[in-house]
Amino acid sequence: MMAPASKAQKLDPLAYLALPGLIFMALVFLAPLLLMLWSSIRGADGFTLSGYARVLGDDYYIQVIGQTLQLALITTAGALILGYPAAFALARAKGWRQVVLFALVFLPLTVSIIVKSFGWGIVLRRDGILNWLMLNLGLIERPIRMIFTEFALYAGMINVFLPFMVLPIYSVVRMMDPRLPDAAATLGASPWFRFTRVTLPLSLPGVVAGVSIVFSLAVAAYVTPSLLMGDRYMTMSMVMAKAFLNLRDWQLGAAMAAVLMTLAVVVVIGAAILQRRLGTAKGS
Amino acid sequence: MQPDYLVVSGADKRFGAATVLRDLSLSVAQGEFVSLLGPSGCGKTTLLRCIAGLLHPDRGRITVGGRDITALAAHQRNVGVVFQNYALFPHLTVAENIAFGLRARGISKAEAGPRVAEALALVRMEVHGDKPVTALSGGQQQRVAVARALVVRPSLLLLDEPFSALDRKLRETMQVELKQLLREVGITAIFVTHDQEEALVVSDRVAVMNAGQIEQLTDPVTLYHAPASLYVLDFVGQSTKLSGKVLSSSDGMIEVQTAFGVLRAPASFMPGSSVAVAVRPEAMVLAPEADAALNTLRGQISDISFLGSRTQIHLNAPAEGEDRVILELSRLPAGLATGQEVSFGFRVTDTMAFLA
Repeated sequence: MMAPASKAQKLDPLAYLALPGLIFMALVFLAPLLLMLWSSIRGADGFTLSGYARVLGDDYYIQVIGQTLQLALITTAGALILGYPAAFALARAKGWRQVVLFALVFLPLTVSIIVKSFGWGIVLRRDGILNWLMLNLGLIERPIRMIFTEFALYAGMINVFLPFMVLPIYSVVRMMDPRLPDAAATLGASPWFRFTRVTLPLSLPGVVAGVSIVFSLAVAAYVTPSLLMGDRYMTMSMVMAKAFLNLRDWQLGAAMAAVLMTLAVVVVIGAAILQRRLGTAKGS
Repeated sequence: MQPDYLVVSGADKRFGAATVLRDLSLSVAQGEFVSLLGPSGCGKTTLLRCIAGLLHPDRGRITVGGRDITALAAHQRNVGVVFQNYALFPHLTVAENIAFGLRARGISKAEAGPRVAEALALVRMEVHGDKPVTALSGGQQQRVAVARALVVRPSLLLLDEPFSALDRKLRETMQVELKQLLREVGITAIFVTHDQEEALVVSDRVAVMNAGQIEQLTDPVTLYHAPASLYVLDFVGQSTKLSGKVLSSSDGMIEVQTAFGVLRAPASFMPGSSVAVAVRPEAMVLAPEADAALNTLRGQISDISFLGSRTQIHLNAPAEGEDRVILELSRLPAGLATGQEVSFGFRVTDTMAFLA
């Protein structure tokens, strides 16, 4: 704040427009965050790391962390596989087709996560729509158990987070010159060569952004795993909720939260570095 | 030299309800430069994309050097394209852009190196090989686009408005430079352009396109001096047009009554038919001496415009009428002023007549 006058003058006055937002975030996000980190290292006799020792030294919690990472990775990969082509379709569509595609991808965002997760319950139940359909089509003889399986969890998670993958990829692809693949074709490049050497590298900044958003959301997911799997598939967020609400063990919950935050921050920062590197490879 | 190197025969292309190419046929000799000239929407870019394989005609055949390429995809055709605004790959350097076609053909980086260097030298861009293409000027980008297309030794080079992204001065230099470069390489080239001056400068023959068809395909001099239709006349160069009626016709010569008087033109139209008579501005002279080979008329000067290398004089007819005559002089005679009545003339053989 006490920067020399010459430096202060270089600051664009427009930057002050961020001030209200910064103050708000400092009050409602940063301060509680620091309090929480503080409670993770505060024991009965002052400073202690026993909360972290309990989280990282317990096989059960290590398993939860592993499960959480696995869920986040599978969700991110699934959203990428489904979202990448969808983003291209969205970017290249014209007129009413683009409006319809937009609605298909983004209207689900307006439906609450709880409603969506219950919806998946209705679809996947033993007497649910999917079983009914497969039974009547003769694909299966007896209803398959889908709800409260990992399949149900992955499907629900990908459904919830897909738009956050599509949007950043779409915004990058939209700015791409559609004649570049044409130019590559006239130079003798097969469709595969065109994709790997032109389309993919140019869309990578969008992929990096989408992956970091979806991963950091999925790694912290709470509602969808609890509703679709319950206690059978504990995630870090669910352990935290239990620690804070049921066990009243603030030290454990806060330490778990710190570990979760570290994982998400590492991915986001890694993605930012990757994105910058891709950006400079192109720009200088 | 193969006379029918590139042959497009009976090509039709429709987009929904719009017919963009109608039964179009075109034949280009090996090593020849042909321009496709026309306003936007005439089908010239569609024809180019059909030849490149980026579009496929609904009907018709395309052959290059006797090989039927109609059914081949773009990457199987070996037809090079220089795109409008060049479509260089922004994530690659100049050298990587040029190497792209070689790498796509499975040529190793090491083998591609000397050929890339050769192509860079061809367009005098040796020192810029490691730069990203985004750091280049418009003229340099065009050279990279040309080198990138030529390095794979295509059987044919298509250029889509290659000069439209350049400012006027640079455009004129690049037109001559590119023409000489392509001659040196000995490649067959098709230019797409809406700029008639550019078409005249760069090509051996110009195809003027209108509504999905070729209206006239001939060398620039014939195109300028003997346009086949009023459409071609209007599209290529400036001209004075006078409407009139045929008074008489004999031995391929007609006499036409215009607002400026009676004049003769080499044509055979029925007496009584309505015609448009056209003359190029530079074919006219002011105050000519009596000569049977000239059409001599009188008019009143309405405007004198100095254009630098030449001066344009606009003349109104002595009788009522909206027709105006534009004549161009390289040197303005002293004492000429608006409102003055003068005589002017042009050779009968420079007079073009079209049915109106």
